[in-house]
Amino acid sequence: MLQLSGITKTYPTPQGPLKVLDDVDLTLGAGESLALMGESGSGKSTLLHLAAGLDLPDEGSVHLGGQRLSILSETKRAALRRDRLGLVFQQFHLVPSLSVRDNLTLQARLAGREDDAWTEHLLTRLGLADFAARYPEQLSGGQQQRLAIGRALAPKPRLLLADEPTGNLDEATAAQVLDLLQALIDESGCALLMVTHSARVAAPMQRHLVLKRGKLMDAVL
Amino acid sequence: MKRLLAISLLFIVMLVIGWQFWPDEPPSTTSYAGLGESSGDFRQALPGTALTFPKDHGPHPDYRIEWWYLTGNLVAEDGRRFGVQWTLFRQAMAPSNPQQDASETPWTSRQLWMAHAALSTPERHHFSERFARGGVGQAGVKTEPFDAWIDNWSLRAADDTAGFERLKVTAQGEDFGYRLALEAEGPLVRHGKQGFSQKSADGQGSMYYSQPFFQVTGEVRVDNEPVAVTGRAWLDREWSSQLLGATQSGWDWFSLHLDSGAKLMAFRLRGAGDDENGESYLSGSWITPEGEVTPLELEDLRLTPLEYQSVAGRDIPVHWRVQVHAHELDVEVRARHPDQWMGTSFPYWEGMVEVSGSNEGEGYLEMTGYADK
Amino acid sequence: MSTAAPGVLRTTLGTLLSHYRRHPGQLLMLLLGLWIASALWSGVQAINASARESYARAEALFSADLDRIARRDGAALSLDDYLALRRAGLPVSPIIEGELSLPDGESLALIGIEPLSLPGGAPLAQQDGDADSLRNWLIPPYRVRVAPDSLAKARTLEGLPPLEIDPDLPPATLVTDIAVAARLLNMDRHITRLVIAPERDVELPSAFVRTSTDALASPGQLADSFHLNLTAMGLLALVVGLFIVHAALGLALEQRLGLLRTLRALGVPARTLILALGLELLLMGLTGALLGIVSGVILAQLLLPDVAATLDALYETTVSGTLNLPWYYWLGGVAITLGGLFSAGASMLWRAARVNVLALGQAQAWRARLRSQLRLQLLFGAALLVGATCLWWYLASTGGQQDLALGFALVALLLLGAALCLPPLLAGLLGLLARYLPRRAALLQWSVADLQLQLPQLSLAMMALLLALSANLGVGSMVGGFRLTFLDWLDQRLLADLYVRPSMEQFEDLESWLQERSEVATLLPTRSTEAELIENDVNVGPVALFGIAPEPILRRHWPLLDTLEDREAAWSALNQGAIFINEQLARRQGLAPGDTLQLKSPASLITLRVAAIYPDYGNPRGEIVLPVSRLATEFKAPSGTLGVVLAPTEDRAQTLERLQNALRQRFLLTGEGTDGTPLIDQQALKQMATEVFERTFAITRALNALTLGVAGLALLTTLLAQAEARRAQVAPLWALGVSRSRLVLLQIGQLVMACLGTALLAIPLGLLLTGTLVAVINVAAFGWRLPLHVFPGQIAMTVALAVMVAILAALIPAWRLWRVPPRQLLQEFAAA
Repeated sequence: MLQLSGITKTYPTPQGPLKVLDDVDLTLGAGESLALMGESGSGKSTLLHLAAGLDLPDEGSVHLGGQRLSILSETKRAALRRDRLGLVFQQFHLVPSLSVRDNLTLQARLAGREDDAWTEHLLTRLGLADFAARYPEQLSGGQQQRLAIGRALAPKPRLLLADEPTGNLDEATAAQVLDLLQALIDESGCALLMVTHSARVAAPMQRHLVLKRGKLMDAVL
Repeated sequence: MKRLLAISLLFIVMLVIGWQFWPDEPPSTTSYAGLGESSGDFRQALPGTALTFPKDHGPHPDYRIEWWYLTGNLVAEDGRRFGVQWTLFRQAMAPSNPQQDASETPWTSRQLWMAHAALSTPERHHFSERFARGGVGQAGVKTEPFDAWIDNWSLRAADDTAGFERLKVTAQGEDFGYRLALEAEGPLVRHGKQGFSQKSADGQGSMYYSQPFFQVTGEVRVDNEPVAVTGRAWLDREWSSQLLGATQSGWDWFSLHLDSGAKLMAFRLRGAGDDENGESYLSGSWITPEGEVTPLELEDLRLTPLEYQSVAGRDIPVHWRVQVHAHELDVEVRARHPDQWMGTSFPYWEGMVEVSGSNEGEGYLEMTGYADK
Repeated sequence: MSTAAPGVLRTTLGTLLSHYRRHPGQLLMLLLGLWIASALWSGVQAINASARESYARAEALFSADLDRIARRDGAALSLDDYLALRRAGLPVSPIIEGELSLPDGESLALIGIEPLSLPGGAPLAQQDGDADSLRNWLIPPYRVRVAPDSLAKARTLEGLPPLEIDPDLPPATLVTDIAVAARLLNMDRHITRLVIAPERDVELPSAFVRTSTDALASPGQLADSFHLNLTAMGLLALVVGLFIVHAALGLALEQRLGLLRTLRALGVPARTLILALGLELLLMGLTGALLGIVSGVILAQLLLPDVAATLDALYETTVSGTLNLPWYYWLGGVAITLGGLFSAGASMLWRAARVNVLALGQAQAWRARLRSQLRLQLLFGAALLVGATCLWWYLASTGGQQDLALGFALVALLLLGAALCLPPLLAGLLGLLARYLPRRAALLQWSVADLQLQLPQLSLAMMALLLALSANLGVGSMVGGFRLTFLDWLDQRLLADLYVRPSMEQFEDLESWLQERSEVATLLPTRSTEAELIENDVNVGPVALFGIAPEPILRRHWPLLDTLEDREAAWSALNQGAIFINEQLARRQGLAPGDTLQLKSPASLITLRVAAIYPDYGNPRGEIVLPVSRLATEFKAPSGTLGVVLAPTEDRAQTLERLQNALRQRFLLTGEGTDGTPLIDQQALKQMATEVFERTFAITRALNALTLGVAGLALLTTLLAQAEARRAQVAPLWALGVSRSRLVLLQIGQLVMACLGTALLAIPLGLLLTGTLVAVINVAAFGWRLPLHVFPGQIAMTVALAVMVAILAALIPAWRLWRVPPRQLLQEFAAA
């Protein structure tokens, strides 16, 4: 499903170049769930961006669904992203000018895979059925993140990439959202790569890795 | 005579050229048919109409169309042959109104005037045309003394006492000009029945007389080079209200001076009618050196094109056989050169010809209606 | 692109556009800017296109193609002259012209032509036709041709022959056969003029003179500079409108940057995103262009009667009072709007294309970016100003005939350069202010700092305001200066109290009769004619000759710009055979006092020395002044006008009245109207000239005011667009205990401060603009230079205008802030 091999990524900083990822290998099979942990600035998000094809590694290769990302054009990578991937961000990144329903179906529509039954199911499962005509700003934080998760799952992706999906939520809400996410992942059989710094959030995942000084190692919860 | 047809066409085209505006209303009738068919309130040329002079040298505004038509064959002292043409046409646009409109101004007139002048040299051909409205005095014809003019072109009595037998003629184009004195050495000649010349099988016709006996002296000018010339000229006068026949496509008209002193006028109106092919109408006059006229009918006259040449994009018969059995005439008539095309508003071929065969001579030939290739 | 591309594009476009559903104000502002830019521009272009179309029709008629022939003695032509010339072999054609008064007081020009003699090369003679239509034309009931736009007027005339439509005719013109015209105008045997094809090189009898068609400058040429002025105004409006568009687009992009990143992350390729943004622009552009062109046409319809009247008064050209727009006008209007929109949107597309997907949610280092942007603007602006200086220097060094386009390029460089420099200058000004403000004035300090923060958003509106203000000041000063100079000049040139234009036969009688009258102090006869000007053995065309009587009163007052020595010496030189030339001729031929020129007189070629140059405002042609006696003898000029200077008297009006009455009775002269009548009162003449003057600039000023309004609107829309964000910024102050009314005042104060700064910069810029207008544009457009006048009142007015615009623009947002319930402020405080 997702395979990263020998990934190296360096960023220029005022203090000189910083090697964020150093010869990292990672494989994620279909339906697997993996928690990627590490401290702030450890390169978790960078790894996620590389996996999504939003950025390209300095060295090494990223294969997504059997295709090597670095030899694809920007347009092909974008197509791959909308077809195969679901993305969930810490900041939600909902479109303020679109209704809840339109936000939910945005990526599915982009991918040309809108499925009304699935949309209704998602709305119900996410507890947003009564809010479908509202706008994101009229939702609570937890509702917004649920909507963001729904948007990512609406096109039935093979792989969900989530970057601190509960980082902006209080503990109780975060737990609810996580449970829902886990349930939906199980339902859809989609793989999950979640970046988090919280062991509690990571716990339900099948595999746990931690990034330290650019190196990837197994995490001990 | 077929020149009637030519003239009406000429006028039509002149109207077109002189004309600047397009019509707003749909044209009621086509111009040709309109001119040819309805002669309405115009007077008609009829057999038995007596010609009286000098009155009939002047205009006949009650008739639709009229002209003063002079052609001359000239020779310079060095033997070079020249030809001249001077023609003044009049056309009435409407029958004159017996009730004069109180609002009429000096510019009001129902008469249109047009003139053509040409000079053929041994190699080339020069021509020019003029237009004018009647009424203002820019063009017109007076008798006593005779004076026909348009702008600075004129054909008029040599002096106040001279009659129609002593005239002078002048015209200028951009690159040519002439000034000639004419002296008649014979009488006026009335064609047809005492001046009524039939023009088609159904009996329509025009009033037609000529002065074919002019001796000419004077000067022609080509490209600013004056050349003294002498020669012979033929003046035609014709008026009518009947214009084109619907089936007529054009005509060939001859005026020949024969060395015997006799003259021949002959024309073929193509598509008018009753010759053996049922196609053309032929007519003419045999004129003795004394001025006696014998009208020639279809059976007396034979006109046969022998050779065509391409002139101005058309095939034109510039070489003819002309036969008048009754007068033992069998000659070939040949254009002195083919390029005597009148590229005027209404274009036609008009030029000097030489005559050889049973009789030597020279003259003028006019051919119209040969289609563009 | 993948197979899903159309769906991607559709969804992307829909998502992008949904932004405007939530922010209709931005959409409104965008469309407003487009609408205004395109409306003013298309309005001006509609006027120009319509006028040009009228000129083209007029030129197609006669003027550009036929030479004119007149009698040398100035007497009217008659049928006999026509006949004499025709019988002499000259291919002339008669034309009868006159005016037919309509019941409503307006009039139509009636032209009678003689189709049989009208030169065949003239466009009139080359149209289609047939025998029937010629016959209809030449015999009763005749025909009258009229352009469709004048058909209704023609129908109000009684006694006309049947009307026919001819779209190629100029407006307000009837063309008919000469017989009809002679009857309708009671001309009898008179004709108005004789024409001849220019290529006919013929010898005229000495009693006639020929005026070449080249000398009869076409109306289009004459009025060109007028239209160029209009175009420049329209362009200014377009630029100001596009500033609004640019501001709106920038705002819309700023607010959608996050959306763009999200879309990219969700799998929209960059190319599709740009395509969608481009389509959005196109949609806006077409809507704006449509709105703009429609209202532009309405605007033009409102202005056109004034323009037509001006052009008629200035150049005696007839411009249709109704719009007549060619197809390319519509296309051009859409093209210029779209072009303007895309130039304004280019930076948006550029930025959108370079959106960093990874910057999702990152804050921007706006301060650093702003600083570098300001530096870049200053650099670029300074470069433009240096360019303007170089161009000015170049134009100044070439001196004589200047290129109008270069003049406008100079103005454009000047304005753009200054506009670009404005934001950095304002920023610098605020920086200084912040540094030297007393620390105790916390609120003041905050408002300066806050203004600095707003500057990026405000700067475009401020630039628009700067342009509008300086254009207003520049044009205002130019017009004001022109009025001063022109009125002065009128006083100097119109010395006589009464002008008499007797006929040839009456002239000598009348002159001696006047000389004997005790109330007449001096007679100032004038004559005019024309002669060919020869330069380096080449005939450069005809030039006007004007003969004056160098009487003491004239010598005292006649304005002179430049002489070889002094005025007295110049006048003595004139009496001894030298000449004066007008400024136009001097510039065109590069002549200075002391130079010589050659003229072809009827007798011979003569060489003349230039003694002085005089100003000649309002005259499009080059002119030479000689003593009137010389003009009569050497150039066979016909008798002209007699200026009558009254002896000093207590009751000028009564004396004048008596004299006029006496002239009327004795010589049967009448003196109503002003044109072509034999008696003209000086006061009437001055009044007419002043009216023409006022009208000329009425439209310029109207457009100027509109532009200023647009700039104010730009400011208002900018403020409205960021009102929400602004509230979030002032909410903390409110929370800290500043009352809402204070906040409102503060906001108005901030804007007044910014506008005041802009106005201060607009003053030198406006004066520079005036200088350019009088010293470069006028010289190139009209051939004369005006002295530069500075009007302090006008400057004060500019500053006041700026403050007024600021207050007006700030009022609505401030009022809205004042009405905001505290709860909302609280929320915004929390959000901030």
